[in-house]
Amino acid sequence: MGVILEVKNLTKKFSGLTAVNDFSFEVRRGEFTGLIGPNGAGKTTLFNLISGHEKPSSGTIRFDGRDITGMKPHQIVNLGIARTFQLVRSFRFMTLLDNIAVSCLSPRGKKVAKEYGIDEYASSILAAVGLVDKARIPPIILPHGDLRKLQIGKALGTNPQLLLLDEPFSGLSHEEQKGITDLIIKLHDDGVTVFMTGHVLRELMHLVPRVVAMHQGKYITEGPPQEVANNKIVLEAYLGKGSEQLA
Amino acid sequence: MRIIIKKIAEFPSNFQSYFRDWISTFRAKVTVICLIGLSLVPLLTQNPYFLGIFTTFMIFTIFAASWDFLAGFVGQVSFGQAVFLGVSGYVTAYLIRYLSFPWWLSLVIGSIIAVIFGLIIGIPALRLKGPYLALGTLAMSLIMYQVFLMGSLATMWENAFGTNLFGAEGVSQITPISSDTVVEYFATFLIMSVSLLILTHITKSNVGTIFKAIRDDETGTSASGINTTKYKILAFMISGLFAGVAGGLFAMRFRGVNPGVFQPLYSFYAIIIAAMGGLATISGSAIGALIFVFLGEILRDTQDLSLLIFSIILILFIRFAEHGLLKPTLERIQELWDIVLGR
Amino acid sequence: MIDSLINFLILGTIQGSIYALLAMGFSLVYGVGGILNQAHGAFYLITCYLFYWCYINLGGFGLIVGIVVGLIVVTVVGGLVYILLVKPLKDSHVGVVIVTFAFAFLIEQVVKVSVDPLYHSMPLLIEGSINVFGVKVLNHYILVVVASLVIVTLITLFINKAKIGKSIRAVAQDAEAASLMGINVDRILAYTVMISAFLAGIAAILYVPIDIVAPHIGWSILINSFAIVVLGGLGSLPGSVLGAFIMSYANAFVNFILFMPEISALIPIVVILFMLILRPRGLFGKKEID
Repeated sequence: MGVILEVKNLTKKFSGLTAVNDFSFEVRRGEFTGLIGPNGAGKTTLFNLISGHEKPSSGTIRFDGRDITGMKPHQIVNLGIARTFQLVRSFRFMTLLDNIAVSCLSPRGKKVAKEYGIDEYASSILAAVGLVDKARIPPIILPHGDLRKLQIGKALGTNPQLLLLDEPFSGLSHEEQKGITDLIIKLHDDGVTVFMTGHVLRELMHLVPRVVAMHQGKYITEGPPQEVANNKIVLEAYLGKGSEQLA
Repeated sequence: MRIIIKKIAEFPSNFQSYFRDWISTFRAKVTVICLIGLSLVPLLTQNPYFLGIFTTFMIFTIFAASWDFLAGFVGQVSFGQAVFLGVSGYVTAYLIRYLSFPWWLSLVIGSIIAVIFGLIIGIPALRLKGPYLALGTLAMSLIMYQVFLMGSLATMWENAFGTNLFGAEGVSQITPISSDTVVEYFATFLIMSVSLLILTHITKSNVGTIFKAIRDDETGTSASGINTTKYKILAFMISGLFAGVAGGLFAMRFRGVNPGVFQPLYSFYAIIIAAMGGLATISGSAIGALIFVFLGEILRDTQDLSLLIFSIILILFIRFAEHGLLKPTLERIQELWDIVLGR
Repeated sequence: MIDSLINFLILGTIQGSIYALLAMGFSLVYGVGGILNQAHGAFYLITCYLFYWCYINLGGFGLIVGIVVGLIVVTVVGGLVYILLVKPLKDSHVGVVIVTFAFAFLIEQVVKVSVDPLYHSMPLLIEGSINVFGVKVLNHYILVVVASLVIVTLITLFINKAKIGKSIRAVAQDAEAASLMGINVDRILAYTVMISAFLAGIAAILYVPIDIVAPHIGWSILINSFAIVVLGGLGSLPGSVLGAFIMSYANAFVNFILFMPEISALIPIVVILFMLILRPRGLFGKKEID
């Protein structure tokens, strides 16, 4: 299995603050990886850098062997990296079907979608994320859990090879978390490489075989969750923020 | 290229099925009745003054619809819609007056130039969002106003080409579409119907879905793999095209243009008409324009007073009735319809 | 030559002081509430015409009455505009933009209908002039510079030291956190718009005697304020003061050194377009346009 995502010496400085500091790691094709770190560790910034929503101060990002550093978000999506956001985003005044259809109309999504027809393909994605019975309603009236599903559906519409999920469980009830977990496992089984963040270690523990730990923008360690959880620096990072977050 | 040919070949059958679906809806029936009604107006009266008011109303409908398309469907609130109106108006008027082009060719060229201005405005506007876009486009229309007003440019142009383009006078004394107001009426009617049809069709197409996505969440749209830059420029060009069509017709209807067309006033007209009809409706502009033009005609002698009233109307609509008149009216009519049919 | 240089310096400074007042208010409302108030020029217009009306109709005391009435009314109107028009539409940027734009139009028409659409002029607030190194300087000019300086300083002190000022800064930094801390965000925003309107009123009273009174001047006030704020950086008060002087010297340069008054109307517009495209953060701004 080759490396699908390679991040090397990535640094992002905001005025006076280094959000991501000389960060390097790799994700292999077909892997299921988690990124952990307390709030403010720089996880979302790292995601924004990979997805092109922010430009790195230095360092490189390679996807499938290709340098994607500094590319625009839509170009990166069309190479095969899709993401979700920690704060849910949706097209508020459009039906769920149209919400998905937008992704299916992207150059990469369209290649697959046009064989089946845009609407039919979008419906099949809605079915896959479990929202097909709500295809004709706008997202404003959806509960939070469904919005998270919609996010994943929107990402799937672009036919991604690598899926970046930013805090897919945040703000969800236990029941809803279960639904999303099943969905993510299903997607991974279908061959999508998944890279997700979580600031609560417990959520990721039983889901992913490998986690990368981040603290104050820096790479700490990586390995099986159990091992990482016992790492001294990781423990300190979390304990410093409050021990209740630990597993 | 092959795709385009295939699409054209498929068009008649596609259009048939599309039309059949469309005509079965309630809205379509109302639209057809309205269009038939409008086409009967010249049978009732051939009074040039009265037909002229109707022609003006149809021109403003196109103009406001072009703004509504950009603001209501793509979320780009422009206060510089007058730029397109003015540019196309000037080009059309100039070609007719000094180069003796036929009206339709002048109109086409004028509209194309407006599309190019859509591109020119669209590119810097890409960096601007929300209120910045509004003020940025307002600034662009003021630039055009100042430039076209410049006395020194007027002299320079006159010395170079021997014609009037710049200066307070503008381009005047151009011939209308036809000296027969009925012909003028029907030409405008046809152009308006086609314009509204195309705009409505775009909003319902796949491209329209992308436009609406940009309106609702631009970052989210780019995260869905859409090149938002490309589509925003496209939207400005489409809006420029139809505002340009309105501009050319405007110049011919009023026999000329002057720098005044670039003033914020005309952008304001488009906004108030679209807001009265209802944002993001396209055809709502027709209701808005009807009220606007006829009320304006009633208050003709006191233009300042009519603008005062329109400002109040606009504030009230934006503040209390953001859906405008079209949707609620259609709903009422549909209820009545259902009662009449005993459903 | 030396004459035009002096004109350049004097009028650049005068206009800079006025623009500083206008831009400061405009920037404040943006920085605190994220509102780009298209009716900023209308505030100027309101005081301008109340001042003019009192002067014409009330004789000797007209100027004093005009100043008091003009400032009180514009401050109250500022509060009302926020409460009645902006606040209910706060969630929709489009709504705020259109409604304040429409309000500006309304005021222009009210002025045209109730007074007249013509140009007028006003007398200087204080007569006489002094001699500075052989150059005659109107006392009114000195008044403008001193008054602006005092007011800009007072407002800066107010925002940094006073209790309301601290609440204003809290709301500017994070409205949500401020409301959790028990600050009434809407009241603070209303105060901010009122301060902004008051500043526009002061600017009108100082500037009208050496400028013109006409219904359309509100638009050039709006465009100039926007240009300055874009130049200095949206939401940055020192930036808007500096931007005001840069703009006014540029304007004076075109008028008195190059002798091309036709071009001067284009300056703010060109500044807006260039800054928005090249450096949307402005010279001193903290916030990127988003």
